[in-house]
Parts: sequence; C-alpha cells; structure tokens
Amino acid sequence: MSSRRKFLKQLSGAALAAAAAPAILTWALPLPQRQSVEVPGEDGMILRSFRFVDLETPVEYFNSWLTPVPHFFVRNHMHEPSELNADDWRLTIGGEVENPVTLKLAELSKLETHAVVNTLECAGNGRSLQRPQVPGIQWGKGAVSTARFSGPRLRDVLQRAAVKSSGKHVMFRGLDEVPGKVPPFIRSIPIEKALDSDTLLATHMNGAALTQHHGFPARALVPGWIGAASCKWLTEIKVLENEFVGNFMSPAYRFPNQPVKPGDAVKPEDTHPLTALNVKSVISGPADGASVKAGNVNVHGAAWAGEADVVKVEVSTDGGSTWTAANLSHERARYAWRLWSYEWKAQGGNYAILSRATDSQGRTQPAVPAWNPSGYLYNAVDQVKVHVS
Amino acid sequence: MFRNRVFVNSPRGRRGLFPAVFCAAVAMAILAAVIPFWALSDRPSPAKVTEDLPAGAMQAKATTACLECHEARIILQQRLSKAAWTKEVDKMVKWGAVVDANDHDALIDYLSTNFGPDQPAYEAPRTAADRNTSEKSAAKPAN
Repeated sequence: MSSRRKFLKQLSGAALAAAAAPAILTWALPLPQRQSVEVPGEDGMILRSFRFVDLETPVEYFNSWLTPVPHFFVRNHMHEPSELNADDWRLTIGGEVENPVTLKLAELSKLETHAVVNTLECAGNGRSLQRPQVPGIQWGKGAVSTARFSGPRLRDVLQRAAVKSSGKHVMFRGLDEVPGKVPPFIRSIPIEKALDSDTLLATHMNGAALTQHHGFPARALVPGWIGAASCKWLTEIKVLENEFVGNFMSPAYRFPNQPVKPGDAVKPEDTHPLTALNVKSVISGPADGASVKAGNVNVHGAAWAGEADVVKVEVSTDGGSTWTAANLSHERARYAWRLWSYEWKAQGGNYAILSRATDSQGRTQPAVPAWNPSGYLYNAVDQVKVHVS
Repeated sequence: MFRNRVFVNSPRGRRGLFPAVFCAAVAMAILAAVIPFWALSDRPSPAKVTEDLPAGAMQAKATTACLECHEARIILQQRLSKAAWTKEVDKMVKWGAVVDANDHDALIDYLSTNFGPDQPAYEAPRTAADRNTSEKSAAKPAN
C-alpha cells in the first residue's frame, strides 16, 4: 500500500474513532470543553498550531513529577522530518576535531547511557501574557514539562572525535524540513556546557524511545537551558571556533542586557543569547476562574529554576499582602521542577491566589514581568482567581 | 524495524486531509442519526485540523502567501499593532512569502484589522483525549 493511501486509511480510521469516541469511549473522562483535533499520541493538549506542530500542556496536567509523553509540550520551528528511517539515520561529528566521526543509531545505542530528569521549557512560555503583545507562538503557561531523558553523554562522543583546542562552541543541526527561504533551525552552545556530564544525546524519554514529535531518533538535551538549545532529530554536531552565526542565535533567542520599557525596540548589540532558565512557579489548581467550596482547598503547582534549585514557594491568598510557605514535594533532581502544595482554609468570597518561587541563586519571581520584544522568559508571580462559596 | 513515517507535517498534508475530513463528516452525520442527542451534549466536537483565514479582500492572497509554509492558527493567535505586522510581513517576504509589491500595504491592513491588539484572544482547540493517558494521569494524586 502506498504511503499516501496508508496514511489516508489511518487518518480515516482515526477520524471514525474520534467521531465514535464521545459515545463509546470517553463517557467518564474529564474531556476538554472546546472542540478537539485528533493528533495521534497526544492527549488533550492545547493546539497552538497543527502545521507545524506546536502543542501546549494544560496546567492542570502539572500533577505528576514526570510528565507522560502524550502530555509533554511540543515546540517545532519547522516541519518535522516527513520520513525518517532509523536504519539510514547518521550522526556526524566534525568541525574543530582531530577525528571526524559518523555514528549509526546502533552504534550510538552501544555507548554508556546516562539519565537526567530535566524540566524543559520553551523560552517563549508565557508570551501571551506580555503587554504589549509580541509576535510568536502565543503560549499560555504550559510550554514546559518534565521527563527523564536518557542516552549517551555528548561529552563521550566529543572525546571520541578529539576536540581541538580551537573548539569553543558546539553546533547542532536537526533534520527539520525548512520551508521557503526560512533560515534552518541551527544553534550552538558553548563548549563548557557541551562537555558537562549532564548534557546528553538523548534517545529515550521516560524509558521509551523518543517519539517523532520529540526528536526521534536522537536529540540534544541541554539541561536547565531554554528548550531551543536541545535540538531535535539531531543529525550533525559541528565544533566551532565561534558561536554559530544564524537567525536562531541572532536576532532570535536573545535577551536585552538592560531592563526595557514595554514596547521599546532594543538594538541587537544590547542583547545576549539566552542560556539557562530563570525561576518560576505556576499554579496548576484550583484552575483560574474556578468556584470551590469553603473549607480546606488544596492549592498546588510546580516550580523550577533552570540550573538552580527551588528553595521556597510561597502562596498568598490576599492578593500579595501576606505570604505563606508551601510544602515542596519530596521528588527532586538537579534540573527538575518541584511540585508544591498548600492547604488553604478558604472562607466565602472572591480571591486572587498568588504563587512566588525563590531559588538557590537568590532569585525570586518578580511582580511584573521583564518585558522584551520577543516575549522570552516570562516569569512574573503567578495568579489565579477563585470564587469560594 | 524503527521505520517511522510521519505525515502530519508533509507539504501534501493539506490536500491529503480533505478525504479524511470528509469521512469524519460522514461518520459524524451517521452517528448523529443513531445516537440520542443527550449522549453527545457537552462533549467536544471535531475542530478543523487546520484553520482558514478570515474573509476579506486579501483572504485569497494571504492564504497563498502565508499558508504555504504554516497553517492559519499561527496568524489567528497573534494580536499585533500595524507596526509589528509590518515587521512580520517584511520578515516573511525575506523568508520566501510571495507578496506582490502592490498587495504589501493591503496585506498589512488585512492582518492588523483582523488581528490587532484589541481583538479578543484566540481560543485554541484541544487535541482529542487519549483514554489511557488521561486515566493514568488522573489516578495520580495532585501532589
């Protein structure tokens, strides 16, 4: 059967299943309220774009330390590889190295494996909350998820290629299909981060081989850094003397060196490349706009800080006048979020519940976000409005 | 053995989806006839896989210029000033969007009229629920 016919058959089957689902399958499930689109392998995700695929994790899914893969946000800059055959896949390591290396997947899979639980967040997460609004995918609060990534260390592969002393940056190129004259999605990271023992060539996520949406068969995993550093469908690693020059290093993914008045333009020379994430907490329940009954109400969410540790999450139920420390869940790892909860004795009325995280570098979420022209690293104190009856 | 074919992003995707969408429509019509109305109430209905741009003098030209590379939702969710739309259109022309010089200003007017800062936020649909994932996830305590 031709690929196209097979695809149509699968899609028709999926469409029939979707049509029948309301009556047969999903009787007691907490289904999304709005219209839905069938995206195989994805469950109840917010569809920011279908072509190319950009899916946001609803914050109510921030209820498990490791995010199930069908709930893990998807950020694509381009079209995914339309046909990717693992047997034909190759990873090349070249540039400023003594011994250029080409690896097949079977060879990569034989290298010693290392696992890192990492909270991956898109630099543009929260962009829709910036005012004035800025162009880009209008993420709400959920372009962030956590998984146990595993695969060989990038360091081991670079050592095999023998990096020359002139090699200062490591460039990643994926197999994304680039439309029109769009610049390819190529970025680089400094050699120090590339040689860190936690930087991986990840082939697995939560114990299973990467899915297509998450970069099968291998992706970079640069823990604690913006998601864009962790290139998917990796096919080329090139060691460079200087930072890679291209759209996705500049002007994209750069942050102003100084605070910017909202709406002002920023000169490229007054910016720096984004690297590690900042400190942030999000309330995953009660939902914004929810009505709850008076009594004990569990306020909960997640907090993360890139390469730093979350040391404190505070909750305010009086609009920020007073704050109380929340309980941090025992599950923790260096680059992973902490789930937190707070038992609130709620009395009738209307409330703004706030959450505010502080990290081991002394950083605290600001009351007002640091506006910037591309809406990166939004991390203002989080807020939900709740009615108690 | 790892052969992994994915077509959702293929340039043929939009054409290829029509028969499937048609099948879904037929299936829905049949189900609507045999399932009582209450059984379907308050349940999600299928949304369009990819969206269309709004009506207007520039709808067809914007569709040709923009949707060759990405679907309409990328545009539908933006809320930008005319100055910001001008920058976006000029960037996209540099990246290969085909916009006749005579249409340039009208295209920016069309985008900034329909997707200006004062328009209400775009309501994104959800992907369909997957029973296994939803149940496993719901089984876990909130904390």
